[in-house]
Amino acid sequence: MPYSSSLIRAIRSPTDAFETLARTDPDPLAVFFRQIVWLALLPPVFAFIGASTFGWRLGAAQPLYLPSDALTLVSIGYFFTLLFGLVSTAFVGRWMAPTYGADGRFGIHLALVGIVAAPMVAGSAFHLFPHVFINLLALIPALIWSMYLLYKGLPIVLGTGPERGMLMASALIAYLLVGAVTVLGLTVALWASGIGPSIGV
Amino acid sequence: MANAPDAAAAEPIRGPIRETYRDRVVTALVAFSIIWSLLGMAAGVYIAAELVWPSLDFGWEWLSFGRLRSLHTNAVIFGFGVSALMGTAFYSVQRTCHVPLFAPGLAWFCCFAWQIGVLCGGISLLAGWSGGKEYAELEWPFDIAIAVVWVCFAVVFFGTIAKRRIKPIYVSNWFYGALIIVIAMLHIVNSLAIPVSISKSYSLFAGAQDAIVQWWYGHNAVGFLLTGGFLGMLYYFLPKHAGRPIWSYRLSIIAFWAFTYSYIWAGPHHLHYSAIPEWVQSLGMVMSLILLAPSWATMVNGIMTVAGAWQKLRVDPALKFIVLSLAFYGLATFEGPMMAIKSVNVVSHFTDWTVGHVHSGALGWNAMITFGTFYFLVPRLMGTALYSVRLANIHFWLALAGTMLYVLAMWGAGVSQGLLWLSLDEIGEPSFSFKDIMASMAPYYALRLVAGIVFLAGAGLLAYNLFMTMRGRRTVSASPPASDSESQP
Repeated sequence: MPYSSSLIRAIRSPTDAFETLARTDPDPLAVFFRQIVWLALLPPVFAFIGASTFGWRLGAAQPLYLPSDALTLVSIGYFFTLLFGLVSTAFVGRWMAPTYGADGRFGIHLALVGIVAAPMVAGSAFHLFPHVFINLLALIPALIWSMYLLYKGLPIVLGTGPERGMLMASALIAYLLVGAVTVLGLTVALWASGIGPSIGV
Repeated sequence: MANAPDAAAAEPIRGPIRETYRDRVVTALVAFSIIWSLLGMAAGVYIAAELVWPSLDFGWEWLSFGRLRSLHTNAVIFGFGVSALMGTAFYSVQRTCHVPLFAPGLAWFCCFAWQIGVLCGGISLLAGWSGGKEYAELEWPFDIAIAVVWVCFAVVFFGTIAKRRIKPIYVSNWFYGALIIVIAMLHIVNSLAIPVSISKSYSLFAGAQDAIVQWWYGHNAVGFLLTGGFLGMLYYFLPKHAGRPIWSYRLSIIAFWAFTYSYIWAGPHHLHYSAIPEWVQSLGMVMSLILLAPSWATMVNGIMTVAGAWQKLRVDPALKFIVLSLAFYGLATFEGPMMAIKSVNVVSHFTDWTVGHVHSGALGWNAMITFGTFYFLVPRLMGTALYSVRLANIHFWLALAGTMLYVLAMWGAGVSQGLLWLSLDEIGEPSFSFKDIMASMAPYYALRLVAGIVFLAGAGLLAYNLFMTMRGRRTVSASPPASDSESQP
């Protein structure tokens, strides 16, 4: 399981993990099924268990329990959103690669995205107790760690220099920020359409 | 012409005595802008603390949230932002026209009159003089003073363009020009009022019309000042940072006209589900969505320009600020149209998500690009190197961390508020009281306070770094290139 072990090495010794990954030629399908799918699956599973057991706590008095069919729908939507986010980031990275003189192999982009996402996925374990603010607090260090891995790893894995790597990583951050706010917007638009929690719109 | 016309004009030119650029007024405006950034952001941090500990106003109305909040917005937008825009407009228009400023005495008048106006206006806000219109709180005596100074700004700027030695008008000047013209129009119309005393006036417009005029002003102040003006800054200083032309000059011109045409219609999205006509709301929403195209055209142009200048990152600490400012510009200009969609707005409106959106633009875009520009500009104005590259690098990470923390805190708070306010119980009553919802926001507001302190600390480093760069030095003299003085119109 070279890709799974690269996730663990990225935690212990990121530079070594990135240098090792740079020397490999990962098969995109292998990375997808051995790494990406699982990374996308864990947060919705945590969220489903947490929300059905404790309810979402938004800070006000009562926790918010969703009906089980709505919760299942939201969790499945969460999974596919994450899957799309991870794969599309790799596609966008490959699309940007010629501009920044980076490696254009899709497999290596996908493997890098997996490593970068790993801290966020680990932080999603806090979904098991779905208090919004506590999750936010937990995800902030995870996000910082992910950004560190992106800025550190991208130039090494994709074989571009630190300066071009910084520019490409920043361009990917822009894509990810837009992706994050799109998910927020889509979510509340779905609420307003009657999918998800019951709100008086 | 695909580049800002002077390749080396920032360097002093030795030789026969010629006319020189009027850069001392630029230095003064940059210095004032830095001072206002510290004061305005400190006021922001203080009101963020008041939202966590309301007793911090000590029962004194001068420290009440309502008054300090207006001071915060006015100090950062008009003190920090406009001083920076005025300074960079004066700097770049000379270099893109190859002539010194027209009416330099008037430029100095603009500089000092503006600072006095912001200072006295700020004090009047603390004293409780307020027209009650967001971003246009200042009362009628200040409105008149602002209009006078703004017209003087226009005279200096367009006078310089009129006597230019280069026929094409570089794209940064189109954006600065739009800033000057449109803000004058918005300010004068929205400020039309009947005074009843020195400290109080009533708007000439009433009811829904007043709301439409106010948000025509409010949204386009964001559009033409906080977006268009700073795009002028971007189009001049990014090629200078990068040492290469704009990636597509044609795209920049198309983006300018598309931006100018579409922005002016978008204001009604601030008034969704209100008493204004439904078709006006829908028009505002559609034009907001169209606005995404020119906004992103500029972002792509900027990113592609900087992509070819990666070597500069080794020697130019300021370029990192510009790179990140483009990322946040992309975020804010996507988030805005998205929040203008009525089915999103029904949840997001009146929540802290809006506050987060404003600050992703204000901190991530406006402040970042201004900081990057100042790190580039001040050493050139002083004819020396930046005092500390290391401090600038630390500032970069503080600014990024502060912005991200702020945005994340407000996303969490805003979406929670939207959901809780709209939650109904089984008999159709609101599930949660307003008071309980606001009480539950305290942790988010504490996180926002931390974000503000981090960002302010970064601004403090910038102030110290640039103060040490400026200390004991005078603005160097630079002259227009001699080569084109007679050959071009």
